[in-house]
Amino acid sequence: MEAEAKKILLEMKAIHKAFPGVQALSDVDFTVWEGEIHGLVGKNGAGKSTLMAILMGLQGVDSGTITIDGTRFSEMTPSEALAAGVAYVPQRINMMSALTVAENILAGDLPVNRMGFVNWREVYREAEERLDKLGLKLDVRQKVEGLGVAEQAMLAIAKALFSNAKLIILDEPTAALPRPEIDRLFGFVRSLKDRGVAFIYISHHLEEVFEICDRVTVLRNGYLVETREVKELDTAGLIRLMVGEDVKEFERERAPLAQEEPVMVVKGLTRRGHYEGIDFTVCRGEVVALSGLEGSGASALGKGLYGLERRGQGQVLVNGEVLTARSPEEALKQGVAYLPQDRYLYGLVGARPVRENITYPILGRLVRALGLIQAERERAIVERYIRELGIITPSPEQAVNLLSGGNQQKVVFAKLAATQPAVLVLHEPTQGIDVHAKLDIYRIVSELSAQGVAILIVSSEVRELLGVCDRILVMYNGTITREFRVGEPEANPAEILLAIEGGNNHVRQ
Amino acid sequence: MRRINLGGFFLFLVDNLIWVLVIIALVTFSALSKSFFTPFNLVNILYRVAALGLLVIGQAFTLITANFDLSSESTMGLTAMVAALMLASTKNGGLGWETHPLLAILVMLLVGVAIGWVNGTLITKFKMNNFIVTVAMLMILRGAIYAISPGKSASFLPASFDWLGGGSLFKVMQPNGKPLAIPTSAVFLIVAFLVAFIVTRYRRFGRDMYAIGSNRAAAESAGINSAKVIMLVYMISGFCAALAGLLEAGRMDSATPRTGAGLIFPVTAAAVVGGISLFGGRGNMIGAFGGVLLWAILDTGLNIMKVSPFWIEVGRGALLLFAMLLDALKVEYLRRVSVQKALAGNPIGLKDQAY
Amino acid sequence: MSASRVFQFVLDRLIWFILLLVILFFTFRVGGFLSGPNLINILLHASVLGMLTIGQTICLLSGNFDLSAEGNLSLLTVLATWLMLPYREMTLAQAGGIGWEVHPFIVIPIMLVLGTFIGYINGFLITRLKMNNFIVTLAMQLVLRGIAFVISLGAIMPGTPRAFNWLGGGRIGPIPVSVIFTLLVFILFAYILRNTRFGRELYAVGGNREAARASGFNPERLITMAYTIGGFMAAIASWMLLGRLEVSVPNLGVGMTLETVAASVIGGVALAGGAGTIWGAFSGVLLLSIIDNGLNLMAVDPFWVNGIRGLIILIALLIEAQKVRFRPQVGRAAARTEAGVSYQAVQK
Repeated sequence: MEAEAKKILLEMKAIHKAFPGVQALSDVDFTVWEGEIHGLVGKNGAGKSTLMAILMGLQGVDSGTITIDGTRFSEMTPSEALAAGVAYVPQRINMMSALTVAENILAGDLPVNRMGFVNWREVYREAEERLDKLGLKLDVRQKVEGLGVAEQAMLAIAKALFSNAKLIILDEPTAALPRPEIDRLFGFVRSLKDRGVAFIYISHHLEEVFEICDRVTVLRNGYLVETREVKELDTAGLIRLMVGEDVKEFERERAPLAQEEPVMVVKGLTRRGHYEGIDFTVCRGEVVALSGLEGSGASALGKGLYGLERRGQGQVLVNGEVLTARSPEEALKQGVAYLPQDRYLYGLVGARPVRENITYPILGRLVRALGLIQAERERAIVERYIRELGIITPSPEQAVNLLSGGNQQKVVFAKLAATQPAVLVLHEPTQGIDVHAKLDIYRIVSELSAQGVAILIVSSEVRELLGVCDRILVMYNGTITREFRVGEPEANPAEILLAIEGGNNHVRQ
Repeated sequence: MRRINLGGFFLFLVDNLIWVLVIIALVTFSALSKSFFTPFNLVNILYRVAALGLLVIGQAFTLITANFDLSSESTMGLTAMVAALMLASTKNGGLGWETHPLLAILVMLLVGVAIGWVNGTLITKFKMNNFIVTVAMLMILRGAIYAISPGKSASFLPASFDWLGGGSLFKVMQPNGKPLAIPTSAVFLIVAFLVAFIVTRYRRFGRDMYAIGSNRAAAESAGINSAKVIMLVYMISGFCAALAGLLEAGRMDSATPRTGAGLIFPVTAAAVVGGISLFGGRGNMIGAFGGVLLWAILDTGLNIMKVSPFWIEVGRGALLLFAMLLDALKVEYLRRVSVQKALAGNPIGLKDQAY
Repeated sequence: MSASRVFQFVLDRLIWFILLLVILFFTFRVGGFLSGPNLINILLHASVLGMLTIGQTICLLSGNFDLSAEGNLSLLTVLATWLMLPYREMTLAQAGGIGWEVHPFIVIPIMLVLGTFIGYINGFLITRLKMNNFIVTLAMQLVLRGIAFVISLGAIMPGTPRAFNWLGGGRIGPIPVSVIFTLLVFILFAYILRNTRFGRELYAVGGNREAARASGFNPERLITMAYTIGGFMAAIASWMLLGRLEVSVPNLGVGMTLETVAASVIGGVALAGGAGTIWGAFSGVLLLSIIDNGLNLMAVDPFWVNGIRGLIILIALLIEAQKVRFRPQVGRAAARTEAGVSYQAVQK
């Protein structure tokens, strides 16, 4: 390929965006060339979705500009984005599923005869023709909801292509596609490159990023880490960019375990489509990490232990008793607590005060007859945790959605710690939190483990984990592939990252 | 690649259930009562249900866009009363203006459209909840009816005004030699449904309605101006309600403050039974017509059989319940099918979703 | 204190100022408004409405609607009268009961149990079968009314026994029992919502159902409980109303559902759930009752009054819609929309 002057199609400059409690994007410069397939990678919460929402006009920016094909926008609306040629193909289908394929393709622009009446034969013919041009064959008379997911995905992409989009955002397009369909999809996408259409390809299937993208941009915690040509990178390098260059700041004091007292024993846990044959143990006071990329099964496993999702077959023992919990309510009773990845959605009832959010799970302990809450005891507990965890809030009556992100996370921690669990599962506990608060969080984790709580952290912030964990279990493709003991020579970031990425697999003994 | 499967068959049955029911009802009542299956009675069925049918058209329009218009019965009553007041002499309860019938009709239609406009504005511009807004309007308008009429009825309206609702179009000769008058309203009803069918099936506007009802955001990204369409739909509903008022006032030759009261339930029931989903985006006017027919057949048939009106009420409620249940089940099933297809045959390696 | 917070504070208290204004208005416009008997009248109406509104408020707080309470009211009053009254031939749409002349001591518990059970069924259908709460309660209302019609044959049945009428019609000194009772019930529920686990759970589930679930609550059980309470309150309201009227009217309570929603919304209860107080709802009940009464005294046509009620509802909704704009965003959870192009679906 000869070196030609690459024309810039999209330029997002100095994008800052904050939500209450979290800085979603900080000073991001993102550029896409014409005819390029540009991968966008990063963990959950890294800011990819916020960046795309801004590009689509769904969110405003606090500062920064967007320039598409020479036209500068500072405030963009969705219709302006569409008019500028930005199209979005979501992971979950967003079409008019009660209508036929043909109507979805031609919506808003149905062929009519001279008197303005819809010409149905023409509708179906035109729809078929358009699909044909892309090499897609679908039953245009079929209702979209009757199509298989693969077909729906391809239709969605086709629709974007039909709207003469110049820049198409593909959000995890291959999630439900088998290999032959993926090939077909990639074939389309490549064929469009030659027409000057650019793609932003969001995926956590790194192999695909390497397969189809020209350049890739890595986001991390709201910062743009780097934009590089794909051919200059290998998977390990990419993961390293995604997962952490932060200097390890926290080092937990690890007392050697006097005796190994298993608190949670997982045996043969299998859930179709997510994970298989999971065996591990977490002892009293131990901090163990489950690390893996999205899709490795780690998140599903974490949620399954808490009853938020199904666990599947296999057995889990907590303090010797079988974990039968099928809901968080039951899990808490059996001594398992869970810190969710998205604290806004699952962790806090935003409009309610700190005090209430902390005591939700332990109200049973604080009530007298008839469910009356003992205000004094509640106040004492709340104050204690606010103090111990260093939660900064004007008062316990403050609504939690007015706190900063780090403090909100601490409130969730307080809530969980108050249940005095046997096992605490933390899902990306430091996501979206500034550095100071991160130290606080790990300090809390450290103290909890010193008190005897068995802690399981689902996270791939390798450097942070090395500072706080005793062991790191790497998951890949649904199984635990390696176990690292922190302190031993092989437990270094490079090795661990490699394992996370799937290289160097050898089955654990 | 159309698959023959149990689910598909179930759907087909449910989608066309209404006609099965209509046929069953017809057959049952004809068997149970000799006076049922006579030309006179059958025509009479349409005649009595014409106003309801117009309301169903309006309701169907809003339902297709996934909105409710629960105020249409009051709009019907209000427009009927307004016209009656304009037309009737003072001794018959009117204002004594005795305006020209055409003027009265014009005013009626304008009022209906205006009410639709108000509904539409509150719902699209002010983004208020459509259910509550139209219920509130239901109450307000009914209050207005009582306010403008002295609480009694206005009757004895000009024959030309009554023609649409109460007059006849032509006469046919029956086999037994007696002439049968074909009511204008029956023909009008059929024509109205035909027009509605054509609009919803063959006009862009109609297809836009379905698009919005199925997925409003997707429709908007396809460039459809959903606010405008919804506004128009409510105005159409108001217009249909005014027509219903015209038909009813014509048939009864009067308007009372209670005209149209309580109709909202049979109207919704007929629409839903006829396949118009409460969730929007599904159903067609033919099915809705079937719903009207079924309703009318049940009403007339049960009346002929001298079933207590209260049991009829219960039956109506049960039918509505049944229809809504079926509707909910159908939509739930359809929405889940796609997800199931995704999970089927999913070996490890197809990744877990973040949520 | 940012501007929006101040605004919200005022909005939350607005109702009490409006109440004051309205009272002043009627006092000067209408003679006899502040008289003892008239105030009692207002409170009598407010009592029944209040009972029903408590039920509605609790459902609204959990994030659901209960459109069936008036049907419950209708059925229970008809049923109770039918059981208690002696038999009488039906003349001019007036009838007697079935003739069993069941004693109120038995009838009242039957009412309460049945009403509560109906509420439970609502909750069950909505949580277990995951049916839409609008549709379920609306249909339930139809069914209940229908049954009421079948039992009563559309006739009114006058003459409920004194022992039964005590709650609705009895007096302690000059003050009606129902007023005192209602006040006590409001105090009780306000206390419950503030100080018990149930109250906490209610606000949590209504505020963020999934976070509540992850915090160890059982939203399905809570919602069922909310509807069950709604049914119970409807039963109490039936007892009260029937006791006051001493006659069962087939069309009893038509339109009360909307009044309860209006009272709740006016009183600051959010339609989306998770916000609002019992005392707020109380203020809404008072406002509606006062306006009703005042307009009546001004000899305004009763059907105008209904129209005005509808207007008030619309205004209350408008205000509620504005309030939502000023409520602090709960991060991404606030951006929940249907289609996949919602922020929530974009985010992974």
